[in-house]
Amino acid sequence: MSREGTVSVTSLWKRFHADRSRPVLRDEFERLRAGSRRSASGRWRWALRDVSVDIEPGEAVGLFGANGSGKSTLLKILTRVMYPTYGRLDVAGRVGALIEVRAGIHPDLTGRENIYLYGSLLGLKRAEVARRFDEIIAFAEVEEAVDRQLKFYSSGMGMRLGFAVAAYLNPDILLVDEVLAVGDAAFQQKCLNRMREVLLDGTTLVFVSHDLATIEATCRRGIWLHEGVVQRDGPVGESLSAYREGIKQLAETAGSVNDRVRFASASVTGPEGADPQTGRCLDVCIRLVSDIAASTSVCLGITEGPAAPVVFTRTQAHLRRGETLANCSIERLPLPAGRYYVWLSVLDGDERDLAPWHPVVSFQVRGPALVPAPPGIMRVAHIHVDTHWRLDHVG
Amino acid sequence: MTVVPPPELRFRRRVRVRQAAVELWRARELVATLAERELRTRYKQAVLGFAWALIPPVGLMLVFTFFVRHVGHVSTQGTPYQLYAYLGLLPWTFFTASVMNGGVSLVVNVPLLNKVYCPREVFPIASVAAATFDGLISTLVLLVLFPLNSRAPQPTTYWVPLLLAIQLLFTLGVVLLVAGVVVYLRDVRHLLPIALQLGLFITPVAYSLHSVPRHLRGLYVAANPLGAVIDGYRRCVLLGRAPDLHLVAVAGVSSTCLFVLAFWAFKRLETGVADVA
Repeated sequence: MSREGTVSVTSLWKRFHADRSRPVLRDEFERLRAGSRRSASGRWRWALRDVSVDIEPGEAVGLFGANGSGKSTLLKILTRVMYPTYGRLDVAGRVGALIEVRAGIHPDLTGRENIYLYGSLLGLKRAEVARRFDEIIAFAEVEEAVDRQLKFYSSGMGMRLGFAVAAYLNPDILLVDEVLAVGDAAFQQKCLNRMREVLLDGTTLVFVSHDLATIEATCRRGIWLHEGVVQRDGPVGESLSAYREGIKQLAETAGSVNDRVRFASASVTGPEGADPQTGRCLDVCIRLVSDIAASTSVCLGITEGPAAPVVFTRTQAHLRRGETLANCSIERLPLPAGRYYVWLSVLDGDERDLAPWHPVVSFQVRGPALVPAPPGIMRVAHIHVDTHWRLDHVG
Repeated sequence: MTVVPPPELRFRRRVRVRQAAVELWRARELVATLAERELRTRYKQAVLGFAWALIPPVGLMLVFTFFVRHVGHVSTQGTPYQLYAYLGLLPWTFFTASVMNGGVSLVVNVPLLNKVYCPREVFPIASVAAATFDGLISTLVLLVLFPLNSRAPQPTTYWVPLLLAIQLLFTLGVVLLVAGVVVYLRDVRHLLPIALQLGLFITPVAYSLHSVPRHLRGLYVAANPLGAVIDGYRRCVLLGRAPDLHLVAVAGVSSTCLFVLAFWAFKRLETGVADVA
């Protein structure tokens, strides 16, 4: 048996029935009859393919990828709710998991009963749960609702309780699915702080989220799952940039020839035609082709990959039929070193898309790196600010 | 990257009896809570409350008594038919309630199955526990039935725990098997009431085990251990005799085999529950 908190996954494969909507007798008979004619492979869908991951105790791993890439399936297998089809699996120690928003054991039970039940399932004694009980309800902010049935909790309350129970009952491994998004900003921060505390206690953390900034802030290691395959496994920054690059490639196909306004070309240049640099001027040059004459609004954003921009600006523009050259000048580029993407869209007077929001060109910025924040601080905006510190000893 | 996984990597879940027992013991609180919930939700909304536990066996007993009095005759070896039938109905209603509720327990609890790991047998076991509670309540009717028929339980009643154990083992076996299968074939649950109705006719509940030819009794009891259990109850509680130990032994062995097989099959089927649920 390995050390508690170790997760060892070797060549994990998981398949589901692709066409299994109704597990009923008639369908089974039909399947038997049609069995010879139907190819066996068409009936299966691989959710995970040859996934191998080894996680050491105390490691913080972020798991990300598009919808349906197998993140939740992997988490479910780690919690032993689900079993793999092929492969080896060794999860040592107590697993605390928050997989669904409606966390907890039973909706008919009160919050209090759920906490004790969960504890007993984790193998904790009643006294051990009792010792942590006040901490849990205080963290979840459900003091006045603790004797109410779970089904009458709001989804936020349910999630808070679920997280508190999973995170406070001394798990060796904590698995958190993207449910944290249900909580308000303050609670999300609380959860991140708690995750950091738990990490310092030597608990292993596996964290699934679509919020890449949060993953970057919480985890040291990032695993990018794509269609059930581990695409990238390494330091979180590297995995995330690979993932962002992947998103961009996907999104680039978004602009289609049917749009009435298209972007023929775009280029990004730094000072005097050189590479873009932090704190210097930046020019974005776009060639627009329009099929109509209209007064429009051109939107430009600079992102790290996904659609949410770090910098955003827009301008009114009266487009004529044919080509228009647009130039956007940013005086002092506030971005730290890294790879960025220019996203563009054109809207008509009613804010309807003439050309949808999509990435057009990418560029590299040279300059100082983003100041690394301690893990657990959420969403450090990807912006560079010149700062000067002075420390004076008084007294 | 390979497209097809190497077959030697096929995931095999090793089920160790000791480990399974430890896990089940840890989940005892969950079993108790689930059973309590099942009872509470069943009786809380109902106007008659816990009387519902009594209505199936007592109702059937009255129906049987009516028919036996007016239509046919059943040999009860000189004991009042009411008591004779009720002693058969007690294990039978326990069995029916267990299979009806336990059989669908996994399907009903799918949301839980997908969230938290726990040994899945807690759900059928909780249903059997709830049925046990109902059974205890309906046993209280005997406190009325015995004086009413101016009889008393015989001293040989001490055989009851052994018979009870066989009854429990057999019931658990059937429930585990049904629960596992129903997850994969949802419409089997619609078959359950029919199968149970049929079971009432082929089990000596309304009649005596003596209706089965003597040379076939061993075989019969192996297939339907409840027959030996019911006959045993009647013999030791009502007639003051020891149960037919030959039949009881056959029923015990057969129930144990069924239970072991069912548990093994359940653990097998359980592995895929979250996939199809």
